[in-house]
Amino acid sequence: MSTEAATEVASSEHGDGAGHDDHAHAHPKFLAHHFDTPLQQFETAKLGMWAFLAQELLFFSGLFVAYGIYRSWYPETFAVCSHLLSRPMGGGNTIVLLFSSWTAAMAVRAAQLGQKKNTSRFLLVTIFCAFIFLFIKYLEWGHKFHEGLLPGHYFGHQYGGFFGAIPADAEVPDLPAKAHIFFGIYFIMTGVHALHVIVGIGVLIWIWRRNERGDFSKEYFTAVDLAALYWHLVDLIWIYLFPLLYLID
Amino acid sequence: MSEIVSTNQAEIHEHPDDGAVHAHISPWQFYVKIFLGLVCLTLLTIGVAYIHLGKLNLIVAIVIATLKASLVVTFFMHLKYDNKFNALMFLSALLFIGIFFAYTMNDTDHRGQIDSAQGTERYSGNGKMAPGGEQPLEHEDDSKMPMHRTVGGSETK
Repeated sequence: MSTEAATEVASSEHGDGAGHDDHAHAHPKFLAHHFDTPLQQFETAKLGMWAFLAQELLFFSGLFVAYGIYRSWYPETFAVCSHLLSRPMGGGNTIVLLFSSWTAAMAVRAAQLGQKKNTSRFLLVTIFCAFIFLFIKYLEWGHKFHEGLLPGHYFGHQYGGFFGAIPADAEVPDLPAKAHIFFGIYFIMTGVHALHVIVGIGVLIWIWRRNERGDFSKEYFTAVDLAALYWHLVDLIWIYLFPLLYLID
Repeated sequence: MSEIVSTNQAEIHEHPDDGAVHAHISPWQFYVKIFLGLVCLTLLTIGVAYIHLGKLNLIVAIVIATLKASLVVTFFMHLKYDNKFNALMFLSALLFIGIFFAYTMNDTDHRGQIDSAQGTERYSGNGKMAPGGEQPLEHEDDSKMPMHRTVGGSETK
């Protein structure tokens, strides 16, 4: 139904499927020739992005289910280990990411209004926030490494001796059994999330460069919009990770 | 779908159905308010974590996180003004995540309650007897039991 409607609109604009070159106004530079209208191109790109985001959610859901299973099996271990994570750092990172989500939304708004300079500014602030997030993450992880709070059988093995034998009586804080499982989940979940942050930085830099080059306008801001959508997803995941990992009891 | 959106937007912005993109642009003050709302909810979830509510803590944390996620998805990600098909796709992903959780945890949380053939007649969480299981043996050899039987309360203290 919808495609029929779209084709109808298009054919009425183009006459009886006349050559696209005859209608330069209907085919601006940014419009790929296999699309009839800018709106159709925009909707198609958005649909594709949302399909990707849905996939991202399903991908992360595997980690969240693993978290759910183990938290349900070892509730006390999770509560005790959660207190070893730094709430100020986790909370601070939450605010940093929320702020970067706001600046990403503002970048899209500026792009929609055709304000090239503001788009660039907001994109740069977003990228800067992403780096702050990673820096705080680095401090947190470093701290855990020094204390030997590592995933799986690396647990209890203090930083500096990854390749040696794991001492049976390593100086590890007195923790409940299965603590290594909590830290396995912590490192994988925050690690995969941090990987998304790093990819996001790359995408945002690319979009910033394209904006500087003058690719975008009031009529065409799709790429800015989609990059921001991806960045909001990264924020979305963290919104759940923070209370689930840092704020247990 | 594009038909629906374009007519909607034509109504709102009085644009003709000209095939151009007419985005809904929110005022910047509105975005600031959403951001401040998100910060308040973050502070709230941190505050609530210091109050002991037992199992309610987890539920409250998830409800607040979902509120925050809704704000981000609805306004920052423009789903409210977007093609409704995108929202449908997003929500269907959530539905399948729900199914994933429900079926998996229904299994993992109830292992040991019914499978007496494997000697798992106790609740895995607390080691207490599960109804309907076999009577415990006089001298249990814990080393032969599945790992998850021996976890939880007793071992951690």
